[in-house]
Amino acid sequence: MAEDLGKIAEALIAGKVEEVDKMTKESLDGGVAAEELLNKGLIAGMDVVGQRFKAGDMFIPEVLRSAKAMSAGMEHLRPALAESDTKQAGTLVIGTVEGDLHDIGKNLVGMMFEGAGFKVVNLGIDLKPQVFVDAVKEHKPQLLGMSALLTTTMPKMGETINALKEAGVRDQVKIMVGGAPVTEEYAKEIGADLYGANAASSVDKGKAELGL
Amino acid sequence: MEKMNQTIQKTPQFRVLTDQQIEKIYFSALEVLERCGADVFQDEAIELFKNSDAVVRGNRVRVPVSLVERALKTYPNKITLKGRNGKRSVALQKDHVYFGTGSDLPFTYDRETGERRRTLYKDIVNAARFVDYLPNYDFFMSHGIVGDAPNPLTYDRHQFMAMLEGCTKPMVVTSVDGEGLEDIWKMACLFQGGEEEFRLNPMFVAYIEPISPLTNDRTAVEKLLFAAEKGIPAMYTPCPSSGATAPATIPGMLVQSLAETLLATVLCYLKKPGMPLIMGGVTTVMDMRTTTYSYGAPELSLASAANTDISKWLGLLMFSTGGCTDSKAVDEQAAAESTLSVLNAFLSGANLVHDVGYIDSGVNASLESLVMNEEIIGLVRQIGKGINTDPEYLALQLIDEAGPGGEYVTKDHTYEHWREWYFPKLQDRSDWETWCDNGKKTMLDRVNEETQRILDEYEPEPIDDGIRKDLKKIIDDAEKRHSK
Repeated sequence: MAEDLGKIAEALIAGKVEEVDKMTKESLDGGVAAEELLNKGLIAGMDVVGQRFKAGDMFIPEVLRSAKAMSAGMEHLRPALAESDTKQAGTLVIGTVEGDLHDIGKNLVGMMFEGAGFKVVNLGIDLKPQVFVDAVKEHKPQLLGMSALLTTTMPKMGETINALKEAGVRDQVKIMVGGAPVTEEYAKEIGADLYGANAASSVDKGKAELGL
Repeated sequence: MEKMNQTIQKTPQFRVLTDQQIEKIYFSALEVLERCGADVFQDEAIELFKNSDAVVRGNRVRVPVSLVERALKTYPNKITLKGRNGKRSVALQKDHVYFGTGSDLPFTYDRETGERRRTLYKDIVNAARFVDYLPNYDFFMSHGIVGDAPNPLTYDRHQFMAMLEGCTKPMVVTSVDGEGLEDIWKMACLFQGGEEEFRLNPMFVAYIEPISPLTNDRTAVEKLLFAAEKGIPAMYTPCPSSGATAPATIPGMLVQSLAETLLATVLCYLKKPGMPLIMGGVTTVMDMRTTTYSYGAPELSLASAANTDISKWLGLLMFSTGGCTDSKAVDEQAAAESTLSVLNAFLSGANLVHDVGYIDSGVNASLESLVMNEEIIGLVRQIGKGINTDPEYLALQLIDEAGPGGEYVTKDHTYEHWREWYFPKLQDRSDWETWCDNGKKTMLDRVNEETQRILDEYEPEPIDDGIRKDLKKIIDDAEKRHSK
């Protein structure tokens, strides 16, 4: 069994999405505990991916493929993990604020969070504050990510935070902001909890904030 | 006697694509517009496309080849820009190369604190002064985005004012939206003698960009349509990042980028045929370790040179990129990357080479980088002088006169020709002892001293008081409209 878990981890490191998907399902059906599969299979693999990425031995396209494999495996595990009360990474809701059509940066962040085992709800681009408010109410995420690439749309992040406050849901969620013109200082100014300078560090900061 | 069948090359020749390769890219871009099309989020543009041979489904616009080719025939081969100094100093035409800064950097390197901070109005004025002073810069883009303007929806008027304060050369401007561009154009018209004169003597080119892949947002299209209506020179410059918002192969990125450009050529044609539209493209890779949109990658230079080849084949003028770096500091990396892209952009014959002086991957502005690149552009322009093989230059008679064991330093020929060499201002060619005696200064030390000297000493030609009053009124009116 430990051998199987090792194989899942290896397939995940190699970015073999279909294999991870299939092997996770088979192991789960074969009676391996979801928690075991998560920790010794998927997370063990992603830990190696994370180390290799930081060491410069793996690159974004490879990491994203591993993250996709992780996400495929998690689909099978999530219901069982919920049943067994296992601590899970949680949910990230992410989107680009109103007036801004830039898509790719926040998608990268979302994919990296999937790699960390999060369930990711990607709301899209050009989103009115109310869309974020509704999504927080609906998905009850632990983290809310907002992106803006333009100095003209940056203020919308603050407006969205205010809308969350007015709706009484601001404190239910940790808010992370990012985008080329955004800074740590600006994040503080508008009342966000976290600033993500890039996709990888956003995941590190998000996990740390949630105590994962 | 002159020999028959001569081929003389007055300047170096540099191409990265053959005509046949360009055809492949062009025909592929046409295929993209017929098969996939582009999204356009602006009502007037959608109407214009609907009333043409284009096929519109919702916001998706697909364009037949015949319409693209009709549109392409209407663009001018030459656009001359006139600065507020009254000089028609930038005459954009095939293979004429002009250098300038980039715009809208959110941060500026603060010389006093050594830190980066938000860009302020005074930083734009300073950058403008540098570009006005340094002779190798032909045009000015703001080198920063004004962070201390009262309203983010009207910051562009203040930014343009700051540019005018410091610089008398032609410009490339950014604006918030169509209304912003209109105000800036009105401000410029005050110097050029009115709206009609502006058409013959435009002071600036409007910088506008789609969002790759194949997306055209409301404000960008609004600006483009306004420029078309008024005959304002504009560039619609895709900024794809290879591997993220465009294919990871350079030709794939070029195909997509060209499709984005061609859609704009059709739209402008539908609005008003013949507007002075310039092709653009900041075509580079996303760094796969950091996700940074790279301003120092050799692929930027290679893809940009290819784009310039394509532009010449299409008969469009080209807005290109060079003199920029991913380095956070003005250091060895900055020098190497800036030099590579300035050289390639220059040799390719691109018309407006922008982003000179960008550091930190297009996020941070540096005056020092402007000063260093002044020297780099000087070096590179010298390469463009090429090799003259006329008898005077072969110097046969002189070699005969000097003879074996002779000398040249006292010869008239030397006296007449040495000034054709490049004479460096900031590079050091002294001997070791002299260098030590002068304080062992590095290039960066000299760049810093020159930066401080220009900051302390240079004053541009001031703006006339009457015009200043009118400029202020346009800005104040914009503030009033937007404070409601």
